[in-house]
Amino acid sequence: MTTKHVSEKKDGSLLLAIETSCDETSAAVVRDGREVLSNIVSSQIETHRRFGGVVPEIASRKHVESITLIVQEALTEAGVSRRDIDAIAVTQGPGLIGALLVGVVAAKSLALALDVPLIGTHHIAGHIYANRLIGDIVYPALALVVSGGHTELVLLPEEGVFRIVGRTRDDAVGEAYDKVARALFFPYPGGPHVDRLAQQSDEEIVLPRAWLEEGSYDFSFSGLKSAVLAEINRTKMKGLDPDFAALARGFQNSVVDVVTTKAMKAAAEFGARQLLLCGGVAANRGIRERLAARCEEAGLPMLVPPMSLCSDNAAMIGAAADLKWRRGQFSSLDLAAAAQVSLEEWSV
Amino acid sequence: MTNGNKRTAGDNPLMLCFDTSTAVLAASVCRGAEVLASRHSHTERNHAVRIVSDLKTLLEEAGGEEIDGIAVGRGPGSYTGVRIGVSAAKTLAWAWDKPLVGLSSLETLAMAAAPYLRGDKQATETAAFASRHAERPVWVVPIMDARRGQVYGARFETTDGSVWRRLDEDAIRLIGEWGPSLAANAAEAGALLVFVGEIGPHAAVLATLEGAVALPLAIDASEMGRLAAARLAKGLVEDVHGFAPNYTQLTEAETKLGDGARTEGQA
Ligand SMILES: [Zn+2]
Repeated sequence: MTTKHVSEKKDGSLLLAIETSCDETSAAVVRDGREVLSNIVSSQIETHRRFGGVVPEIASRKHVESITLIVQEALTEAGVSRRDIDAIAVTQGPGLIGALLVGVVAAKSLALALDVPLIGTHHIAGHIYANRLIGDIVYPALALVVSGGHTELVLLPEEGVFRIVGRTRDDAVGEAYDKVARALFFPYPGGPHVDRLAQQSDEEIVLPRAWLEEGSYDFSFSGLKSAVLAEINRTKMKGLDPDFAALARGFQNSVVDVVTTKAMKAAAEFGARQLLLCGGVAANRGIRERLAARCEEAGLPMLVPPMSLCSDNAAMIGAAADLKWRRGQFSSLDLAAAAQVSLEEWSV
Repeated sequence: MTNGNKRTAGDNPLMLCFDTSTAVLAASVCRGAEVLASRHSHTERNHAVRIVSDLKTLLEEAGGEEIDGIAVGRGPGSYTGVRIGVSAAKTLAWAWDKPLVGLSSLETLAMAAAPYLRGDKQATETAAFASRHAERPVWVVPIMDARRGQVYGARFETTDGSVWRRLDEDAIRLIGEWGPSLAANAAEAGALLVFVGEIGPHAAVLATLEGAVALPLAIDASEMGRLAAARLAKGLVEDVHGFAPNYTQLTEAETKLGDGARTEGQA
């Protein structure tokens, strides 16, 4: 365990966290990085549904309209006043730049107005540390991050240190699910529909697995998505109706097989003592159940947060920011939101 | 609703004013017309990085006294730009529990012409103002480039540069159509037509307008205090939570969807 910055170590914290990286405006109050006093999430999903996906300009507009109200609700629900807050945590990136800007400017304004430190926080660190809100993380730990924008295997050799061992080379898992859902005529966001349909089907149209080169922990899902579309076209050319349920099952099994196999292999290779499943797609039953079963076989403890902490939310940002708070590592008021930002460099 | 009437109008409140709708990050601390400190950073595309530390420095320069209210340009202008200013303003107003005054960024831009009309400042284009404008009204038309031949624009009338009357609402307009019609109306009304702001992209059109003057001025935060104080004195304060930019137009995605819906509705 590293001892750097130990002289600046802070005692208990009450962090006000803000997250606006995509289409949820969220604010939370988190104590000591593990106790959620409030976690308000204002979803814009109904607004974006009619456009068939998130429209960045509309997301940014909605964030401005609701930001202070959501922050106030978070304080009210937590039963704390502005003056009780020790620091402001905010998602710096990655995400939609225009959306991130609103949260970052609001957070910097709060840090100035309340005269407290600012902690720019990595969104993926947030997803991973959502697990600390439900239990203790044992290191080294391996995190499987699956969401609409991310598919990553992250090794945490020790607390607050992130090493990416695998990532998608094209589509994220959630993205692949949504694209396949569109091909199967499900409304946006369609991922959960595909998951449900796959569970219901007894038939399976077996689709290829993208293992990539030997020893790689990277992922690729765009070929699989193309295989689904090709299968639909082939069937239609024959004048037949595609069996959507069997296709959904074939797609899901391919994704789940690759994702869980690579996660288990990486866990073994790096000696992980715990597996952390996180991100919005962690709600996917196919992935969740298969990974749980394989972890049990391997005797590897698995943590997975409840749905409210898996999808984008500010409490997870507060949980990750606590890593920096305890080490006295703060951001300047010139903090810049960034569409891309390195997780490894964000390590404590 | 923020309690905007903690002080009476005669109190001469100390206002933190800023606007980020254009390439200039303009900010000032003013007590009415008196400017305690001001900053103008030409940090295009960097407003989100600089704004809060700029405001912090500005408040220190102004003496660190507690401010009484916040005034911000709510647009129109760069979408991202106005969001930065509005997000900072409403968050500061909420956190400090101070009244929030929303200003038109175009009116703020128009005010950049005020010192020239008053004769406090001179430029080659304005040398003749002092003698000319006293005899006839001046129409000040602030413009910001909105691409594809469009401008965000409005129109204000003044005689002496200190009393202003709005003649046109903030809107997005085609300069090729709006410019000539303004020039014709001004000739009829005997008014002097003065365009202020992002002249460059529209210089060719403006040059064809007989008798029109073009002043390539940027937003001047030193002029924001008067506007802010006037609105505050009238009790024109915003609901902090509901406060939002004035983009003057829907997003492209909404326009496309809306057009479809309208066509269906008419059929
Ligand atoms: Zn996320």
